[in-house]
Amino acid sequence: MKYSATKQALNNGTLTSYQVCSRLIERIEKLEPKIHAFLSINKTKIIEAARASDARRSAGKALSAFDGIPIGIKDNICIQGEVASCASKILANFVSPYNASVIEKLLAAGFILFPNLNMDEFAMGSSTENSAFAVTKNPFDTSRIPGGSSGGSAAAVAAGMLPVALGSDTGGSIRQPASLCGVWGLKPTYGRVSRYGLIAYASSLDQIGPIANDTQGVADVFSVISGKDDHDSTSKNLPAFQTTEISELSIANLKIGIMKDDGSQWSADVKNRFDEAVEILKAAGAQIIELDFSLFNYSVPIYYIIATAECSSNLSRFDGIRYGLRVNKTGKLEDLYTDSRSEGFGKEVQRRILLGTFSLSSGYYDAYYGKAQKTRVLLKNQYDSFFKQVDFILQPTSPTTAFKVGEKTGDPIQMYKADILTTSVNLAGLPAISIPAGLGTDKLPIGLQVTSPAFSEGRLLSFVNWLATVPQFKVDLPEEIQ
Amino acid sequence: MDKNQLISIANLAKLKLEDSQINSMLIDFNNIVAYVDDIRNMDTSSIHDDDIYLNHQNAVRPDITGKCLQTEEIAAIAPQFENGYVVVPRVIET
Repeated sequence: MKYSATKQALNNGTLTSYQVCSRLIERIEKLEPKIHAFLSINKTKIIEAARASDARRSAGKALSAFDGIPIGIKDNICIQGEVASCASKILANFVSPYNASVIEKLLAAGFILFPNLNMDEFAMGSSTENSAFAVTKNPFDTSRIPGGSSGGSAAAVAAGMLPVALGSDTGGSIRQPASLCGVWGLKPTYGRVSRYGLIAYASSLDQIGPIANDTQGVADVFSVISGKDDHDSTSKNLPAFQTTEISELSIANLKIGIMKDDGSQWSADVKNRFDEAVEILKAAGAQIIELDFSLFNYSVPIYYIIATAECSSNLSRFDGIRYGLRVNKTGKLEDLYTDSRSEGFGKEVQRRILLGTFSLSSGYYDAYYGKAQKTRVLLKNQYDSFFKQVDFILQPTSPTTAFKVGEKTGDPIQMYKADILTTSVNLAGLPAISIPAGLGTDKLPIGLQVTSPAFSEGRLLSFVNWLATVPQFKVDLPEEIQ
Repeated sequence: MDKNQLISIANLAKLKLEDSQINSMLIDFNNIVAYVDDIRNMDTSSIHDDDIYLNHQNAVRPDITGKCLQTEEIAAIAPQFENGYVVVPRVIET
């Protein structure tokens, strides 16, 4: 059931939240053995929350138009009294003592939380294969990955287990899985959504955002979770996004930027669909402008230097002392630190901590981290110049459709290159959305990424509403999942 | 990067690499460093340190006590907790 239909049914009284949530739980129980989108599910708690919502509606005391709508939560977002494991052994038993700010806002609006969606450990990965507990599968082909790191969120929404879910995006972790699973995923402007209570990977890049099965789900949830928060020092002093900022755009007046790229790293299906999208926009009267993104090939290296440097610092808090896994074999403090971290963190997390420690270490700092920070400024400046020429930038979200489970796990660089079209957006702090653009010849979803200037999500979602009406971009679930 | 450098970096990161992990981690690590190495040739002479931080602002709040975790909440998540304190191994070796 689409998000908009769920919301409408709850508001006109044709369905109760109990009915909606019970049906979703049934579907989750049926599909989970194939998909593994959740790390755990507490049916009793969900049903209690749904009944409480129904009681509020019956008493005419609905908290908002969203009261009773189910929403999935990625396992790196803290919910008081719930495990927030980040799909890591080091936090396997960590029960959060507080709510993230986005959770406070969702609860205040009456949303029903479905926590513990699977992810790559500490959001480090592009396939959800780095989860310490389970590999999530793509609902379109369960031999393939759903993307990552918010793979549980995207797969659950795509499989109809949820109408909407929260993910987090540090280098593409909302958009890439949304693309590979045929759903919508918004990475908001940096500073637009509070990061308080999001367990940090790379603080200058992380941003929470919605993944939904229609555009209204993205817009509604973004309107609820956005806005200034004193608990996050990087939160921008702007009011929350209003859905009234979405309007009808005249496509004929738009200038759409496309990056000069030979597309050699794109699959034929992705290239063909992107070219088709460009032709559709041209036919609607949009002006297509080719942009020379000379720093494009640097974006993944800059990202992996900066993100890993921040990760090595952020993850130093997991030391076995105050919370999380403690391994104390020798009774010596130094051994407690190293044993807890070495047994608690998975291989990819350790690899990134090591890379970050290396680029921050004496003798290498200026050559790597310092250089990456300066190149990041150049990249941001390049985006600023693009947006003096165009309204939006259109790209594929991922260079290929979903790859096979295990296909890239042996080669970290090939895995990192899965983020080649998304990381630059995080480095520049811009908003971008991945939208479904139909299926390829392999029957797998293709996604298009639209990027806009900072804090222009209203115009971005207005444009996306138009793109959502393009018949060629329709995505239907495979019959066995329907 | 050689084996000794990798072990030195791991020590800084408080990670212990098993002998069986070191070779594969070293290969991955060197491949990744080679992949990002191009960045060292970037001409960034037009960017100064100030350009990186100029747009950052200090976030301040009134100096008043806010909500914080209570002792029992800390005790609930601590690996070992006794008499109001998180228990850790002896810090000063005897």
